[in-house]
Amino acid sequence: MPGDARERILEAACDLIASDGIDDVRIARVATRARASTALVHHYFSTREELLEQALLHSFETAGSERFAEDPDAEQSAARGVARAIEVCLPLPGSQERDWTLWVELWLRAVRDPALRPLAADLYGRYHDWFAGVIAPGLESGEFTSERSADELADLAIALLDGAGVRALIRDPRIDVERARELVAVRLAGELGVEPGSLRISGR
Amino acid sequence: MSPRPQIDHIRRPQLLAAAAEVIAERGVAATRIADVAERAGTSAPGVLYWFDSKDQLLAEALTAAEDRFDESLTGRLEAMGGPGERLRLLIEASAENYDWTLWMELWTRALRDPRMRATRQRLDDRWRGQIAHDVRAGQAAGAFADHGPPERIALILASLLDGLALQATLGDPQVAPAQMRDLALEIVELLLGSELPPLSDQESAREREMLVEGE
Repeated sequence: MPGDARERILEAACDLIASDGIDDVRIARVATRARASTALVHHYFSTREELLEQALLHSFETAGSERFAEDPDAEQSAARGVARAIEVCLPLPGSQERDWTLWVELWLRAVRDPALRPLAADLYGRYHDWFAGVIAPGLESGEFTSERSADELADLAIALLDGAGVRALIRDPRIDVERARELVAVRLAGELGVEPGSLRISGR
Repeated sequence: MSPRPQIDHIRRPQLLAAAAEVIAERGVAATRIADVAERAGTSAPGVLYWFDSKDQLLAEALTAAEDRFDESLTGRLEAMGGPGERLRLLIEASAENYDWTLWMELWTRALRDPRMRATRQRLDDRWRGQIAHDVRAGQAAGAFADHGPPERIALILASLLDGLALQATLGDPQVAPAQMRDLALEIVELLLGSELPPLSDQESAREREMLVEGE
């Protein structure tokens, strides 16, 4: 099916961007990895730039729909929802680390490319709205006590996650992913007026 | 004595400043040595005399840009009364310089290149060290509450500033430089259990000017 081929090409491009860096990705290698011809790659994407940008966006669409999906346990407590949100936003080994690497590539790309900027701003906007939506029920029910709005708290959470996460991703010896999680949870717990332990998913 | 002609000692800082400009505009991958040479008003061999590769040029250009940022701050920091004012100036100066493009370039390259990772680490350690130094001084003087190790507070503040700067750089309308500064100030005041004194009239006039220019 044609739709599958396009998706396979985008997935292959994501893998190669993450492993080799965006500047070293070649169409021929993407085609080989996707079990497609270069002609088919060009059929879907007229330029290399277009393929790379679509691949970055694809990774966020996919990651977003998987991770930002409703949590069946969310009703238990708003703190549990925030704990899960922190968890899915950290550069944990595996697919989240891959997505993080692409995220960093997208930041840099979006700064330089005016065409990509609105798309990146839109992705950031969705990320923000999702996080604010996770926090808001706790503010409404009184489970969280904060003078800040859900929007401000989401800005804060995302800033801490990005700033601590990028350091863990780059293997800063003073902050691994465990420490990044702890740093975000403690700071956010202070803002929300809850115990830091309540923002950790138990069993991890 | 260096065998290099005297003139090159003047050239090097110019080359690094030119490289920082070109790389910020286009990225390392799209930057040719010839572009840097042209910007600096010299030839490609004149650049290659000093730098083996574009990565080395990026590493040194970024280090030089950070050095200039530090130097521009040092004088102002020395004129500050105490650690509270110094921290406030560090935060306000970060909001002034909210274009993080070169940092993002370094993050991206640090993912795969050990030398770039080491450069990033060194610059980040220096920045966090400066914050921790003032936190420690304030705690020792009893101006700040002892809410935790200075290194930890520095890590939180540095992470927060990077994350906010990222949102500002990517053009999130909700996180303009002034909001970035205010949010960072509120959080650090919470962590220090103390309000950071406002800058002197002269300094705040300067900050206002810089923020307006930056918008």
